[in-house]
Amino acid sequence: MGPRRDLPARSLGSNMSASVVNMLTRMCATIKPAYVWLSPVGVVPSAMGRLRMASSSTAEQKSAVVESTEEYKYVERLIPPTKIPTPPLHDGPAPSGWRPPSAVTPDLPYMVRRSRLHNVPVYTDLTHGNRKTTLLRKIEGDIWALENDVKEYLVQLTGKIPLTQVNEVTMSIRIKGHFDKELKEWLLEKGF
Amino acid sequence: MSASKTTGGKAIDILRNLPRISLANLRPNPGARKTERRRGRGAHGGNKSGRGHKGERQRGNRPRLGFEGGQTPFYLAIPKYGYNEGHSLRPQYQPLSLRRLQYLIDLGRVDTSQPIDLTQLVNGRGVTVQPLKRDYGVHLVEEGADIFSAKINIEVQRATEGAVAAIERNGGVITTGFYDFRSLTILCKPVPFFLSGQPIPKRMLPGEDMVRYYTGAENRGYLSDPEEVERARQELAQKYGYVLPDISKDELFHMLSMRKDCRQIFFGLAPGWVVNMAERKILKPTDEKLLRYYGS
Repeated sequence: MGPRRDLPARSLGSNMSASVVNMLTRMCATIKPAYVWLSPVGVVPSAMGRLRMASSSTAEQKSAVVESTEEYKYVERLIPPTKIPTPPLHDGPAPSGWRPPSAVTPDLPYMVRRSRLHNVPVYTDLTHGNRKTTLLRKIEGDIWALENDVKEYLVQLTGKIPLTQVNEVTMSIRIKGHFDKELKEWLLEKGF
Repeated sequence: MSASKTTGGKAIDILRNLPRISLANLRPNPGARKTERRRGRGAHGGNKSGRGHKGERQRGNRPRLGFEGGQTPFYLAIPKYGYNEGHSLRPQYQPLSLRRLQYLIDLGRVDTSQPIDLTQLVNGRGVTVQPLKRDYGVHLVEEGADIFSAKINIEVQRATEGAVAAIERNGGVITTGFYDFRSLTILCKPVPFFLSGQPIPKRMLPGEDMVRYYTGAENRGYLSDPEEVERARQELAQKYGYVLPDISKDELFHMLSMRKDCRQIFFGLAPGWVVNMAERKILKPTDEKLLRYYGS
């Protein structure tokens, strides 16, 4: 884009603007185009059109389009990735509070995997407007031992034994009440 | 100990040793099912069957819901007011907290070595913008400003003062830019647009109601004067009590100073160009009229 008269000049270099100006105003080299885009003549050759075509086909030396592959890298940056990226390594917890699973798998009879987006799989649920439950998913191994440990831990916190439901088919534990923050921290301490 | 290798654990082990399940040996847990009270069948479902004594109640002739016996009912006594008038024409912005942005950066879903755009946020599945629901973009909000610690070049559509301060405190650059409906749709979903074969349109300038916002230096608007922006940065640093880092000495200064032109939708791609994804080429027009149009 050329210098804009209505707006003040930019001091923070708009690099794209300069190259864009070059691109737009540069006369094209005679590169054979893939197809003629917005040719000067109309698409439907009428009688007048045929005359115009006859005269312009001889006169027209430059093509209507310039092809370029240099700027395609900017297009590649816009394509959404199809794979979930692996998180970069941090020293300890990340600023947002996210912690990776420990490199050494904990020596326990059960395992709690991370979700697809690398988070701890503890979720809260609210049904019927007032029924609060916490769901602990992606469990492998001895699920009853994990259920025991969860009950012990929550008894210390609340003083009451929590009601739990173990689903051995989906390998998940549902606990009555919202305990997502506590259970997430507890699992992170264990190293899951 | 549930040592069963197959799914189902203890439950399926028990089931295998029990007799075949049939209707004859199934029953619900005691207390799960309560028999209903059948009206008109004697004892406490009978007599008046829960209808009361005489009158409209027993005879099933009560007036409509909301009727208050003749007194002007509540739903007519309260006057009308246009709270929701024109709701479908009001611009909406999807909120993005600094906490969520830091989370996306920590997990590598948003790349800080390149300028962060709405396209990058959508590609990292950080926000979902629906232009068809009157969304005009993303609103950066300062929730999580105390834990935010990333140096980024970010372009959003609205930003609160606290969010601007948090980003500049960490040595980053923030700009607010306006995208009209078509440009916003293209920005959020560039690939279907490129596949359609249309030339990249030029971004429209904001309407009357938004010009003031985007020409203001406090909002870091893309149409504002750079000197005023510099002054506003200093003032904000004083207001929030931090030392404004000097970006020009930074090694990433080139990346941090990249800004889009006011008619540009994508970094590096100018309006008027057609992207051929199948052959990985870009087609640029050469006709003067077109160049003049797309250059204006």
